[in-house]
Order: sequence, then structure tokens, then C-alpha cells
Amino acid sequence: MRIGKSLPVWPLVALAIVATWAIGVAVTGVSRALLPSPALVVDAAQELAGSGQLAKHVRVSVTRLAAGFALSTLLALIAAFVFARVAWVRSVVEPPLEFLRQIPPLAMIPLLILWLGIGEAQKIGIITLACFFPIFLGTTGGIAQCDQKLIEVGRVSGLSPNEILLRVVLPSALPSVVIGLRIALGQGWRALVGAELVASSAGLGYLIEDAQNLARTDIVVVGVILIGTLGLASDWLFRHAIASAWPWVPVDRPHESNA
Amino acid sequence: MLECRAISKTYRIEGREVAALRDFDLHLPAGSLTVLVGPSGCGKTTALRLLAGLEQPTAGAIVRSGGKPLGVGYVFQEPRLMPWLSVARNVGFALEGRAPKPDITARVAEILDVMGLGDFADARPDQLSGGMASRAGLARALVTRPELLLLDEPFAALDAMTRRRLQAELVAVWQRLRPTIVFVTHDIEEAALLADSVCLMERGVIAERYANRVPRPRDPTDLAIVELRRAIIAGFEAGESRKSNT
Repeated sequence: MRIGKSLPVWPLVALAIVATWAIGVAVTGVSRALLPSPALVVDAAQELAGSGQLAKHVRVSVTRLAAGFALSTLLALIAAFVFARVAWVRSVVEPPLEFLRQIPPLAMIPLLILWLGIGEAQKIGIITLACFFPIFLGTTGGIAQCDQKLIEVGRVSGLSPNEILLRVVLPSALPSVVIGLRIALGQGWRALVGAELVASSAGLGYLIEDAQNLARTDIVVVGVILIGTLGLASDWLFRHAIASAWPWVPVDRPHESNA
Repeated sequence: MLECRAISKTYRIEGREVAALRDFDLHLPAGSLTVLVGPSGCGKTTALRLLAGLEQPTAGAIVRSGGKPLGVGYVFQEPRLMPWLSVARNVGFALEGRAPKPDITARVAEILDVMGLGDFADARPDQLSGGMASRAGLARALVTRPELLLLDEPFAALDAMTRRRLQAELVAVWQRLRPTIVFVTHDIEEAALLADSVCLMERGVIAERYANRVPRPRDPTDLAIVELRRAIIAGFEAGESRKSNT
């Protein structure tokens, strides 16, 4: 999706999908409990927005995501930095990390509930687990791929190994870090909603879960559309922030190849 | 003063030992301008990398008189600019954190003007032409006013006019600041124009040395320069025939 180059196609696509949906519901006469019409979904959205429910759930979810994303970014960058500089730490810590990476964050929910309770810490813990590995792998991969020729420039410029890491290796790893961050953002969203489905009293996952119990499929659809829209919006904002902060980083790459 | 004493450097390529330098001796008086010339694969770049400390010799030693390590400037065959930094910050790369900011700015601006890059200080490297990027790489090495300046075919990618201008500029810098220069090229005319001393290299050793006392500024059509070129070519051809006889 290119922005500002030509007229974007996506509003037309969205319109076509909604039209197909509306016509399909009208023609088949499917029960509103199975699939409500777009009009009913808009009604439900207005109802939720009017009562302040929608804003509350969005705020709760976005806050959790931001906290988990920030925490995992910090941890992943520190870990990648230490790995790059201290070989023995890497050889000790890498095998258990590789093991942890195989475990879907949602499978950790029971343990995290036991350890962290059912409050914010547990949700943020899940998001942190989900976001950590894409960022960590993006950073270590970027560091490993740094052009040796640029490192030599650092060496003949009299830079210390730490200065080379900070001034040559990390900037050159940035495009790969950014890809990791984008993937992490997507994974974080998924994990967040998953965590909120299980034990929660607020957030978009809870909104969906609660609506399901009340047989309010229209609200479920509102939640689903909102999650997708917020995910797209956060990715869009992220790409634009990157493009303006670091213009040499290519950000328009295919997304979430390992999702 | 800097001296390479009986340096050998071997690389292991697919299990095979390949000698890049064999018993390589080179004497570099302080403030001299030495050109290493020779066909590709003769070990010129390896000699430069050893002098820069980018690699360690397999045998032999690099000896420098006078205690403190030399400030080194290195111009690589490719510009090797950091794609995330502006041209000005690339040029000031080695100074950052080592000199006050206004000093760096002033020195970078000065050298960019000398290199004809004054209007491109804020450009990104991917916006430069190949020749401009080469000049930025040269500026980055010169801006630190190094005591030892190592250049690996720095002008090979430039058009003839720019090359002439930068050769003259390099000589001017050398005459002003007197760094010890080792200049690697495969261009015999360039060697004869620039050098105090031309070392013809051949399969990892210096086959021949030519002192060059032609007064500067030099002209490539000057008889003494032409004779020196002829002598270097003769030396090169003698080496080639030695190679085919063995």
C-alpha cells in the first residue's frame, strides 16, 4: 500500500466488502445471532460509543499494548546488545531463550496467572513475551549482518569496540530492528486480545468475550473490526514515525512473514 | 618513521595457503610519499591493511620509531560511507566525540570545500554520484590530519579531470602537513606523478624501487616523468617474463 503516490484502492475494497456483506445478509436472511448486518453493527458501535464503553476498552487495551511493547523493546535491545559484546553470556543464555521462543505466549497464561495474578501485570507479561522475540531476533540478525567494511571504517577511525557497536553496528542494524518492531507490534495485538479473552474485566478482548456470553454478535463484530482497524492504524503510524525519523530505513516491506 | 620488516601474510582460502606478502620490507621515512604500484593480486592492499592495523602479519613486524601510535587515515577502494549519516557527519566521523563540536564543524566545512562538496554537506550518501562519494571518503581520511595516510586506489573510480584535480590536492595537503603517505595504485602514470619513491610490487614482494626527484608541480608529459614511467613498465615486463620462466 503506497501512500500519496496515486489514489488509494483500499476505500473501494472496504466498500465492496461491506456491500457484499450487507447484500449477503439481506438475501440469505441469516439470523442476526450468526451474522448481523452492517447496519446493526453500526448501531451497536454507536450505542457503545455513546455510553463511553468503547473508549474505555480501547484505552485499556492500547495502554497495555504500549506498556508491554515498550518493556519488551527495552529488554530485547539490552539482551541483543549484551549478546553482541559478551560471547559467554550468549552461549549460556541462547539455548534457554531458543527453548522459550518455541512456546506460544498464550500457553503461558496459566503460569502467568499463578505468578502475576489476573491484573495488569499478567496482561503486560503476555504482551512482553509476544513482542520480545521478534525484536530480539531482528536486532541480533541486524547486528550479525552488519557490513564488515563499515566496521573497518570504525576501526581505522580509532573507535573502541563499544563505540563501533554504538556508532556503526547498531545504526546499520536499524532496518532489521524496525522490521522486528513491526512484527512485534502485530504479535502484541494478538497476544493482548488473547490475554483479555481469558481473565479480564476490561479491554477489547473482554468486550468480545462479554458480548459472546450475552449473545450480542453485533458487539463481537464491532470488537473484531476495531481490533483490525487499530492494528492497521498502529502499523501505519509506526511506519510513518520511522520514515520521518530515519529516512534511509526502508519500511515498505512485506509484513509479518513469520507470523 | 615506519618500517615493515620481513613481513609475511598468508591467507587460508578453501584449505589452501595463499601468500599475499612474502618477506616484505618497506622503509617509510616520516613525511615521505611512497606509491606501491603493481598488478592486481600482488599484495598492495594487504600491505596497506597491515600498516593500518586492520590485519596482523603472519610473520615479521611493523616497527615504528617514536613512542605514541600514529594517527592513521585510510581511504578504501570503495567510499564506504555510513548510509545513515549526512555527508558532513560521515566526513567528521572520526572526530566526533574527540574534538569540540564547533571545531569539527569548521574542519569538516573546510575539507568539504577543498573537495568540492560544500553544497552537499547535508546530503545523504545515496544522493551522491560515485565520484562525489569517493571524494567524501578522501575527505573523511584527511579531516583528522593523520600522520600516516594510507590510500588504496582512491581515484580509480573518478573521471580523468577530477582525478587530476584530486591528485594535485593530495600533493598540496602533503606539502602543507607532511603526513607519511602510502598510496596504492595500478596506474603507472599516477605513480610517477605522485611519488617520492615508487615501489613496484610483484607476487607479494617489492621487485623494484624507483626514487623520483622530479620537481613539483609535475607534468605527465615531462621528459623525466615519461622516462620514469618507461622504467617502471620495463621493470614490470621483466617481472612478467621472470614469472613465465618459472
